[in-house]
Amino acid sequence: MSKKSLLTEMRDTQLAIELIELGARPQVLESETTLSRERLLKLYKEVKGVSPPKGMLPFSTDWFLTWLPNVHSSLFINIHRAITRNSDCIGIEAVLKSYRLYQEYLHTNQNEAVLSFTRAWTLVRFFESHMLQTAACRDCGGHFVVHPDDLHNHYVCGLCNMPARAGKTRKAKADAQAAQMAAA
Amino acid sequence: MKLDEMLDEMRDVNLNYLMLAQSMIQLDKTTAVYRLGICQDVADLIEALTPAQILKLAGSGMLVSRFRFDDGVVLNMLTGYTKDRVLAHSHAAILMASQAVEAMA
Repeated sequence: MSKKSLLTEMRDTQLAIELIELGARPQVLESETTLSRERLLKLYKEVKGVSPPKGMLPFSTDWFLTWLPNVHSSLFINIHRAITRNSDCIGIEAVLKSYRLYQEYLHTNQNEAVLSFTRAWTLVRFFESHMLQTAACRDCGGHFVVHPDDLHNHYVCGLCNMPARAGKTRKAKADAQAAQMAAA
Repeated sequence: MKLDEMLDEMRDVNLNYLMLAQSMIQLDKTTAVYRLGICQDVADLIEALTPAQILKLAGSGMLVSRFRFDDGVVLNMLTGYTKDRVLAHSHAAILMASQAVEAMA
């Protein structure tokens, strides 16, 4: 076994702490740092106070194509692209910075987070392996997450052409009712 | 508004903009590149500007920052949004971010 550098280990630990705080799952930590599984688990428990969630990561690309997740993941991938193309920030660092910017956007708009850090990281991996790509909307010209096998010659995004039931969730209905009660 | 006043105000805006941009870049270059919609080379240049250079640049009689929605269609769509304010912001954010990408390509 090669001898591990103390400095790399420290940097990795710091990165792991940052990732855990943002809500990354152990699988993300394992592939982005060189720390051993046991150490990561220990670290996770120390930072979060609970054991990490078990089971596999979500592996389906379909989630990113449903309406609301599509809006959020398109925003995230656009931020990520702007960062990686316009500066020399790459890899997990770029994902971290993009996610921070995404969170900040949510915060300023009082919007709820739809994309978790693990999902965002998975999204970037899907783009790297060409399982997802972006298409330009015919009306607004924005780039949105799409499946590479679909036809995109006349693609119109979910914001220019909103589906009839978009955003009409049970929660939205309850919120509207509560507002009405308060007004009455 | 008189011409002198206008020139003064423009210089103020330029000064504010350049100083803000500089401190943003010093704080975190990657984030600043995204927020300002510029590329890293330009960011490096702005970071290295001396106060004297900033003053000179600010008083040049032109605005140094440019309007980022130079597409009338997009601007109309964003200001004419009637459905949901949050969605309009999401749409604007997506367009702004992808625009920065196109400027480089």
